[in-house]
Parts: sequence; structure tokens; C-alpha cells
Amino acid sequence: MKRLILVLVAAGLTGCLPVRRDTPLVGDLPGLTPAQARGQVVYMANCQQCHPGGSAGLGPALNDKPLPGFLIRFQVRHGLGAMPAFGPKDISEADLDALVEYVVRLQGVR
Amino acid sequence: MKRTHYLQPGRTFTQALLASVLLTGCFSLLPSNGGGQTRPPTVRTVRAADIAVPSGYRVEAVATGLDFPTAVAFDEGGRVYVLEAGYSYGEVFTVPRLLRLEQGGRRTEIARGQNPPWNGLDYANGTFYVAEGGEIGGGRIVKITLDGRVTPLVENLPSLGDHHTDRPVVGRDGYVYFGQGTATNSGVVGPDNAEYGWLKRFPQFHDIPCQDITLTGQNYRTANPLTPAADTVVTGAYQPFGTPSRPGQVVRGQLPCGGAVLRVPQQGGPLELVAWGFRNPFGLAFSPDGSLYVTENSYDVRGSRPVFGAGDPLWKVTPGTWYGWPDYHAGRPLSEADHFTAPGQPAPAQLLAQPPGTPPKPAALLGVHSSSNGLDFARNPAFGDVGEAFVAQFGDLAPVVGKVLGPVGYKVVRVNVTTGRVEDFAVNRGPQNGPASKIGGGGFERPVDARFNPAGDALYVVDFGVMTTTEDGQLPQRQTGVLWRITREGAR
Repeated sequence: MKRLILVLVAAGLTGCLPVRRDTPLVGDLPGLTPAQARGQVVYMANCQQCHPGGSAGLGPALNDKPLPGFLIRFQVRHGLGAMPAFGPKDISEADLDALVEYVVRLQGVR
Repeated sequence: MKRTHYLQPGRTFTQALLASVLLTGCFSLLPSNGGGQTRPPTVRTVRAADIAVPSGYRVEAVATGLDFPTAVAFDEGGRVYVLEAGYSYGEVFTVPRLLRLEQGGRRTEIARGQNPPWNGLDYANGTFYVAEGGEIGGGRIVKITLDGRVTPLVENLPSLGDHHTDRPVVGRDGYVYFGQGTATNSGVVGPDNAEYGWLKRFPQFHDIPCQDITLTGQNYRTANPLTPAADTVVTGAYQPFGTPSRPGQVVRGQLPCGGAVLRVPQQGGPLELVAWGFRNPFGLAFSPDGSLYVTENSYDVRGSRPVFGAGDPLWKVTPGTWYGWPDYHAGRPLSEADHFTAPGQPAPAQLLAQPPGTPPKPAALLGVHSSSNGLDFARNPAFGDVGEAFVAQFGDLAPVVGKVLGPVGYKVVRVNVTTGRVEDFAVNRGPQNGPASKIGGGGFERPVDARFNPAGDALYVVDFGVMTTTEDGQLPQRQTGVLWRITREGAR
């Protein structure tokens, strides 16, 4: 039950609350792990166009919401609302692992 | 990371269902919040300190009060020249001009034109090359000598529609390369083109392919803005407004065509096709290794055939290649409808019975509606980031081009064309992204060109000025353009 409440809160934070944008980035994120660096390349090819730098654009900001990794994974694979699904042909399982690590890393950027 | 923890069937289904219920439809519920959706300021504030750049770099305003500036170039001596468009979306016509910025702030008019917008500029061997958009008279590439004599190099380009003749660049091979935009958003003339002003002026104008194409016969019924009656018309792809197409219909390719990179010898000669299948190839630049790159302004969510979620690609141009417009975006077919269908809008149906090629993947993918325009490559280690592209992003024109949840663009980004990594390089300070007129301060409004000086130690950014947007279109504000310069401290 606690898990479900967490899901509710996380999903609510992701979707329908007023959009909060963040200070735009200047320069690369420091100290990326190899997996995060790989995830960054995946992000640039698939996510950047709608969430530039992790901030709001066509879609909502990603870097100001405590979205857990499993929801990021779910949303990428299945798509939700206006966001399309990205199947294994678009993003392999290994690349998705790396992408999730990178997006979680973006959450700390303000 | 152990995925098995969150892939347990029953729990995953419940979580997915809850998340789906909460997330689905939120895009439709939230208001559009584009950067231009604000009231125009009575006076533009210009304050370089309001622009954030990486540590060690410095921003300054070189010129202010410019009238819709669109491009910058330099002569051999490093003197600075700015192009004023003479036109802006929102249908404001002024006078296109080529200006030289003198020491002490004085400006010398080198030449003026009669066929706006002038929206692209290059200089080589004592001659300026200007892309004359031709909103009324059709597009041209014109040559301008240092003493102001204007002569046409190419004429009768198909620039009467949404997109114009774009930035020329002179190659090492002695050719002038330039972009030519398409007439429409996605291949079908519609009521949106009346809102842009041109359909009522040129009701027979439409897109022109560069090679023969065969149509699927997809047609669209829309209201007719050309008559006062509440009638409707049916329009097909690559046809005049109100003209349907039929399955299997062949449309002959020709030159000049739209949505293409074209070239012509510097001294004049036959027009040649380099590559096509672009929507609006606005910015062109050669990388240090001599490769040609182009920024493409991609699809909008408007008109008879709206396309959703299409970021602006940065392409490396391979001669002879078809890049996908009007049936692909960044190598992905629009037939993958869930990627390209906006909530509540129809999916974009395929227009071409057979694609003229297999579109490649872009070097980088920039923000949806970012209007990524002029670009240049760093080539001086003193400035840094040699080989990376610096792209000026004009910013979104929401809501008429489609809804966004946050302002997109309004900055200069740095792009690694090998990895596709995009980073902000120069951007307004503050807790929000957007133009200065929206977020406060005196930084960027709408960067439209970015170009290094001949020494490569200073990046000049052309800022078009204030252009706010409403549901009814754009509201450009005259004489609010600025030329910025970014240098690295200790580089000179």
C-alpha cells in the first residue's frame, strides 16, 4: 500500500502539477559515470528534443521531479499521454539502463 | 540496478494503470506556455550581464536598435556587417538593408533592397552574398559589392510561402550553397497559410519537389478562407489550395524546388541540386573539415496535416540525399503515428507512395519548435570547443505552431556533431528559460544567427528582437534587434 501511495505521488508530480522550470544549464554535467555518459548520448537522440537539458519544452521538466527509475523505464517503454513509446528497436535494454541513470542524474540539476 | 524488482506482473500492472490514469491527458489539460506568449515591452532593456555563459567568457552588446536583424558577416579586415530583414512574420514590412558597423557606433548603409526578407549573408573575395527571401517577388541570391552595387546571382526561387530563401555560404569549391524552404508546413496548402498572409496573395502557390514523386492521393477538406462564404475545399499534396490529388499521380520534379540545399557557381551559372527533403533548411555552415551542415526548422502542429513532436534536426549534408520531408522526421517515418500525433489531432497520413530514398539520422536533434537557425563552427583553440557547432535558437512561436509546456530556445547552444550532445552555451539567467521580455532582465530575445569573426576568437550573435505571439499570430516590435559579442577572456 505504501508503494502505491508513492506511485500516486510520483505520478502526480510528473504529470499534472503546475510546471516548474529550472535554471538552464551552462556547460556539461560534471562527473558523469560511464553509464551516465552513455545514457546522455541516448537522451540526446531520443529525449532532448522534448525535454531540452531536462527542463520543460514540448513536454514537462524532468529535472525537478523525484521520478523513480522504474517509472522512468515504464514511461519510456510504454509512453503515456502525449509521450510516445520507445521500444527495444529504438532503445536497447542496455541503453535504457544507461538512460535511466542519466535522467536520475538530471534530477539533481537545478 | 535490478529491473526484476519492478517487473513483477501484478504489481507492475497496478502501478502502470495508476500512472497511466494520472498521466494520460495531462498534456491536453496544461496551458501552452511558449516564450513569446507575453505582452510586448514598451522599451527593450539590453543588459549583457543577464546572459549566462561558461566561466571565462564575456558577453557584450555591440549594436542595439536594429530593425529585424537576421545575419552577420565580416570582411577581410574584420569589419562587421549586419543584415536587416525588411520583413517579419506578423506581416510587418520595412526596408531590407546591409549595414556596416563603424567604430564609435556609427552605421553605414551599404545597400538596400526591395524584396524582403533579407535573411542570410556571407562574404567572400570582396563580395557579399545575400539570401533575398522574396515574400512578394520570389526568392533570389544577390551579390553586393563593397560599394553597394546589387546584382542577382539566382532568381525566381519558390519563396512566396511559409519559408524563404535561406543563408548562403561560399564553399572552398567556388560554389555558393544556400537553403530553400518549402511553401507549407507539411506538403499541403491549408488555411494556416492564409493566416501567414501569403495564400490570399498567391492562391496558386504550392510545394515543388526536386525529383519526380508519386502521390498516395491523400486529400484534406478544409474551410475556404479565400471566399466570404462558409464553403469548404479539398486539397492534395503538392497542389494549389483547393486542388485534390489522386492515387498514383506523378508530380514532376524541377529546379528550382523547395525544401532543398542548392548551389550555384560564385560567378554565375546553372543551378544545381545538392540535397533535398528538408522543410526549411535555414542555417548553413561548413565545419573545419569542410563538411556542410544545415539546421532544419521542422514540422509544426498546424494546418491540414499537423505533425507533433518534431525537433529541429542538425544535418550533415551528403550530396544526392533525400532527408525525409514530408513523410519522415529525423529518419523516422511519420507513419509511426504515436510519435507524431498531437492529442485531439489527426495522425499525419503518408503523402508519397514511394519514398525517394532512405533518410539518414541527424547529427543532433534540437528542441521541438526551438527554431534552430544560424550556426557556425569553432575553429580557434583560443575560443575553445574547436569543431563544435554553435547554433542560435530563435525560440518557439507557440501557440500558433503548436503548444509547448515551457519556452523552447531563446539561446545559443553548443553541439558536438559527433555524439549529438547539446549543451546551453549562452542563455538568459534566471529560474526560467525564455526571452528577456517574458522572464525579465535584459538578455536575449530571439537569437537568429551565430557566427565567428575571421580570427575565430569572438562569436557574434544576432538577436532579431522582440516578437511576442498570440493565438492570432506574431507581434514583432521594430528596432529592438541587438548584435551581441561573446569572447573568452585572455583569448585576444
